[in-house]
Amino acid sequence: MGTFLGWSFKRPSNLAKLILFACASVALMVADAHHDRGVHAVRGTILRAGHPLQELAALPFGLVRDGKRDLRLNSRLRQENARLRARVRRLEIRASRLAALRLEVKHLTALLHGSAIPGYRAGLARILDVGSGPFKQNLTLNEGKNDHVFVGQAVIDAHGVVGQVVSVNRDTSEVMLITDPDSGIPVISERNGLRAIVFGTGSLHRVKIPYLTVTADIRPGDVFVSSGLGGIYPPGYPVARVTKVTSNPNLAFLNIRAVPLAHLTYHTHVLLLWPRRHTGARGAHHG
Amino acid sequence: MYCCYGHGGIPGRGARIMDNPLTLQQRLLILLSFVTAMMLAVIPLPDSVRLLRPDWVSLVLVYWCMAVPERIGIGSGWVLGLFLDVLYGSLLGEQALAKALLAFLALHFTLRLRMFPRSQQALAVGTLIAISDLVVIMIKSLVHGTPPLWRDTAPMIANVIVWPVLFTILREVRRRAKIS
Repeated sequence: MGTFLGWSFKRPSNLAKLILFACASVALMVADAHHDRGVHAVRGTILRAGHPLQELAALPFGLVRDGKRDLRLNSRLRQENARLRARVRRLEIRASRLAALRLEVKHLTALLHGSAIPGYRAGLARILDVGSGPFKQNLTLNEGKNDHVFVGQAVIDAHGVVGQVVSVNRDTSEVMLITDPDSGIPVISERNGLRAIVFGTGSLHRVKIPYLTVTADIRPGDVFVSSGLGGIYPPGYPVARVTKVTSNPNLAFLNIRAVPLAHLTYHTHVLLLWPRRHTGARGAHHG
Repeated sequence: MYCCYGHGGIPGRGARIMDNPLTLQQRLLILLSFVTAMMLAVIPLPDSVRLLRPDWVSLVLVYWCMAVPERIGIGSGWVLGLFLDVLYGSLLGEQALAKALLAFLALHFTLRLRMFPRSQQALAVGTLIAISDLVVIMIKSLVHGTPPLWRDTAPMIANVIVWPVLFTILREVRRRAKIS
């Protein structure tokens, strides 16, 4: 029994309550299914009341999502960091190499301006054109008569003798490489002073040293330097290194192969040599 | 208060003890448990996990119906269901009807549920919730014309699994708060 405003009444049974609420539910559903405005208002009100709940429910997920994003970002940054670090290291190595190169350039410049080769003054010339064939091996330089280039002038690079000037134009000149079949340079062996002549073969990578008898003391690895005989090339400058010595009993001479030491297929600059006046070498450039 | 069942018969009917009302704090605690359950129910989850999400609200409702049948009953279930309808975006009254029915069933079986060992209790509670879910499924298929799907039974299984744990937690909460 319960009381309500002084009235005594029997509390409804559970079943009665259930039926009551079920009816209410059905009424609500029917109204909702027919898009009743009042029911929509009820829904809106409850939704507004429940909105913070939904927000609250979504909150941890938002946090997790943000955290995941941050972690991803973090790992990406880490990776990028590592990559950049590696790159920095690479660049540092390259930079140090660059420093070495700069040093070398400085050295070469010093060589140029100083008296690297006694009795000669050196001048840098740019290679304009390279002619390479079995019968002709030549370079075209950007220095000519106007630059006091003369026929028979020696041309070298940092590693060895390149060749000699064979024709001079106003602003350009032709250089016959030591690998030209017509080229011959008097040389001596650095090891024992054996005299020889290095001839070109028509290949940029090979020269030959003929007319050495089988008794000549010559071995692979021997370096031949210019002897200065003939007056064209400065004495003591590297020309070729012997790679192979074969002797054929049927022939009187050894078959000697050598490689030019000058970097004929590299770089874009060579050195032109002018004999200094006081040496008296100038003009004596006909072998 | 258990003595009341002796002559009161069915809990919730004439068994309300007017001199032992819940304090505001205790009411808030019960409300909080329902709010938490609703939050768990609407938390966005990936599809695969959502299938196995227990019906938290129903479980909590059953628990409180069992624990304080004089306070939590059909009316509470109905209001709760109304909230759920709005949260789920389902037809207004659909969940309300189901939850009212669930509360009714829970009240009806309270004494027996209390006597059951935990595992049997879990099965029984799961069955009660399944019955109320059946109502929802029937209404849905009536309104939308969609046939019931087997996947709808997945949460029912989850309910049975979760019940013992939830029961333990809520009982602890109830004892701490001295709700009886």
